[in-house]
Amino acid sequence: MTIKHLFPVAKTSPEPSGEEHPIMSLRREMDSMFDNFFRGFGFEQAEGALQAFNPKIDVTDTEKEIKVYAELPGIDEKDVDVSITKDTLTIRGEKREESEKKEKDYHRIERSYGSFSRTLHLPVEIEADKIDAQLKKGVLTITLPKSVRAVEDTKKIQVKVE
Amino acid sequence: MKELKDQTQDNAERTRERRLYTPSVDIIERESDTLLLADMPGVDENGLDITVEKRSLTIYGKVDAEIPEKHTLVSSEYGIGDYQRSFTLSDEVDTEKIQATIKNGVLRLVLPKADSARIKKIPVTAGV
Repeated sequence: MTIKHLFPVAKTSPEPSGEEHPIMSLRREMDSMFDNFFRGFGFEQAEGALQAFNPKIDVTDTEKEIKVYAELPGIDEKDVDVSITKDTLTIRGEKREESEKKEKDYHRIERSYGSFSRTLHLPVEIEADKIDAQLKKGVLTITLPKSVRAVEDTKKIQVKVE
Repeated sequence: MKELKDQTQDNAERTRERRLYTPSVDIIERESDTLLLADMPGVDENGLDITVEKRSLTIYGKVDAEIPEKHTLVSSEYGIGDYQRSFTLSDEVDTEKIQATIKNGVLRLVLPKADSARIKKIPVTAGV
């Protein structure tokens, strides 16, 4: 299993497998460098203004399970749909607009709305019936236990000193 | 009419070693109050701190989430940190009556207008 496969590569559809063009990975690296640099300076406020809502996702991993976290502020559990196929996890949903917004006078609109879909590749086999998903404080946490076979297949390679 | 002025740029140095994010907000003016909505995923009512000092309104949200033990972060788009943002209130806001609620990680602040801010018509009489 390579760490690379865990990355949520696609925003709407899974990326075809195979080698990525080196320019693309450089570009991604540059993008994330700029994003990280400007984070916390207050520049990112306008970021969401023109885009439809697209949740941000963190992924953590252990020997036995994978946890996926998605930021879904203001979304009810009934508006979220989590589905799994053999090797992909899809989070779909809709962030509804406040009803007040339509007729009133507003000074600032930075939050974004709309329906979204994110698909993640799963690097290992998952126990599909033991998946747990919880939405709390606007954060969705999905716990994906790795299948017994996947856990057993993992081998640690000893690094020796010559 | 600008009721709330953003102060994000003049950050003082902080004492806590933690990432600080600026939450996205919507500010909507209504007839008798101003509504402020802020996206703060990971914050609940216990982690929220709202202060008004003179005319400065600060919202601070503490995020409790940590990476669980033994887990390694393999992909990160949002990073873990707290939220903070300050606004300058105009005299029009009645600071005594501000109401705050938080649900599903969205803070909802209602800033009522002070009575003095309601539009008054001043009759003009012709001088003799």
